[in-house]
Amino acid sequence: MRTGIRFGSVIRHLLLAAAAVAMAFPFYWMATSALKTNDEIWRFPPTLWPETALWSNFADAWHAAPFARYLFNSVFVAGTIAVVQILNSGMMAYALTHMKFRLKGAFTALILACYMVPATAVYLPGYVILGKMGLLDSYAGLILSNSVSVFSIFLIRQAFLQVSHELVEAGKIDGASHLRILWTILVPLTRSSFAVLALITFIEQYNNYFWPMLITKNPDLQLVSAGLRSFFVEGGAYGLKWPLIMAASAFTIAPLLALFVLTQKTIISSVNLTAGASKG
Amino acid sequence: MKRSRLAGDLHALLFTLPALVPLTLFWFIPMGYVAYLSLTEWDFMSPDKRFVGLENYVGLFADPAFYQSLRVSLLFCLGSVFPVIVIGLTLALLFNRKRRGGAFYRLLMFSPWVTPTVAVSIVWSWIYEPEVGLANTVLRAIGLDGIRWLEDPNWALVGVLIVTVWKSAGWCMIFYLVAIRNIPSDLLEAAELDGAGKLQTLRNVTLPLISPTTFFLVIVQVIQSLQAYDQINVLTQGGPAGSTRTLLYLYYQSAFDAFRIGEASSVAITLMFGCVLLSLVSFFVGRRTVHYS
Repeated sequence: MRTGIRFGSVIRHLLLAAAAVAMAFPFYWMATSALKTNDEIWRFPPTLWPETALWSNFADAWHAAPFARYLFNSVFVAGTIAVVQILNSGMMAYALTHMKFRLKGAFTALILACYMVPATAVYLPGYVILGKMGLLDSYAGLILSNSVSVFSIFLIRQAFLQVSHELVEAGKIDGASHLRILWTILVPLTRSSFAVLALITFIEQYNNYFWPMLITKNPDLQLVSAGLRSFFVEGGAYGLKWPLIMAASAFTIAPLLALFVLTQKTIISSVNLTAGASKG
Repeated sequence: MKRSRLAGDLHALLFTLPALVPLTLFWFIPMGYVAYLSLTEWDFMSPDKRFVGLENYVGLFADPAFYQSLRVSLLFCLGSVFPVIVIGLTLALLFNRKRRGGAFYRLLMFSPWVTPTVAVSIVWSWIYEPEVGLANTVLRAIGLDGIRWLEDPNWALVGVLIVTVWKSAGWCMIFYLVAIRNIPSDLLEAAELDGAGKLQTLRNVTLPLISPTTFFLVIVQVIQSLQAYDQINVLTQGGPAGSTRTLLYLYYQSAFDAFRIGEASSVAITLMFGCVLLSLVSFFVGRRTVHYS
């Protein structure tokens, strides 16, 4: 019996290890391909580890296109959007949970309805409208058009619903303003939800490609995904310089992998909150 | 009294405005606008839009390209949602329920979800390289012929789907891990005492108890699969021969490559209806079949 259990757990570990290797292997392949010479990368069968690691590939790729600029754009835009969403989702969620006003139910339903509409379906009219506002090809357009997320609102709403009404009522009786109640009572109690919101929004916006690519044609304003893709198509001459392309992919992905390793507890805890928000 | 109610309304309005303004500009108005555009003929450039009624829809429903991309969208949906759910669940079941460990495995499996789709799709297009790419090297090592992954109309969709599944399976796994940990252990012990085997316990206790998670994941994955763009754009651009052109990709091409705004808008409205319909159907099906404790 006991050896049976042990045998089972060995199999279990082997299967898990195999799956983990399969999941992580593309990253390993990217890193080692980035270090190969152009000769070695076209050799068959491919080598698992480069004969001579060519670290200069990274420097060459970095200088082959304005990647510093792309990375700055992504981090700046994603960071700003995360801050804006913390503010407007917090205020909206407060109104939806702890304020009394007419048509509150209808209002909540209207916002919930947006949850079902695919964002991509409104990209075309959104583009036309952004153009009429003169915000195409601008940081303001990139930030403003992504500054609200129905998911974020519901995430925070769900957290605020868990805070007891008595605490909020007590604050009101003490004569505290709404803004003060929000800032000194609710936000400290729901800090973890805001942390999840900030991280998820940052990751999503850093990775964002389709919409930012549509609304920015100026290379100076491209986010890192769009920049990498144009390097892939033009600079990399569609796959003739694979080591450089792999190096560029690596430093696009690296900041996110690092962020993920540092904050994995928060990101994984987002699962609890996401599943909760969807029930509301 | 009336006055304080009005004051309450105004206060609430003030709190909702920072989200309401962008929501109106980039969600509510565009939704109405795209419905209007779908009834016109326009090319982005000319100052006038010609009102054509339902002509765009009539044209769309008579167009073989529409049915082809509808088919691709459905295949994409089935071909990504099922494997993602099954693989995610299997991996989660492999983790030991009680012992904590495995944090390292968890980290590795979740990492694809965090990274930019464009960057990882570029990595995958190198893996799919027909001569010396990793995928064909593996196939040849086990005695099969190599495949022209992204150039063969029979295989291109499979290639795109593998990337899609690879990217989301770990994410689903994490959801299932949480759901499985939340199953009360006395239920499992009771099943064991009653002499239920592992498979029986899985079928009669575990699966029903985690059905809300399955339900949630299916809806999210279905909606995501209908909106997949980044990996298709990098790997195949809808080709070869339209074999990876989903409804969304058709919409994108007729709007931003062909500048047929009216036609594109009618595709967008169809897509929107599809999403809302699927959400509502799964909502009602879920209500009947999902077990909420």
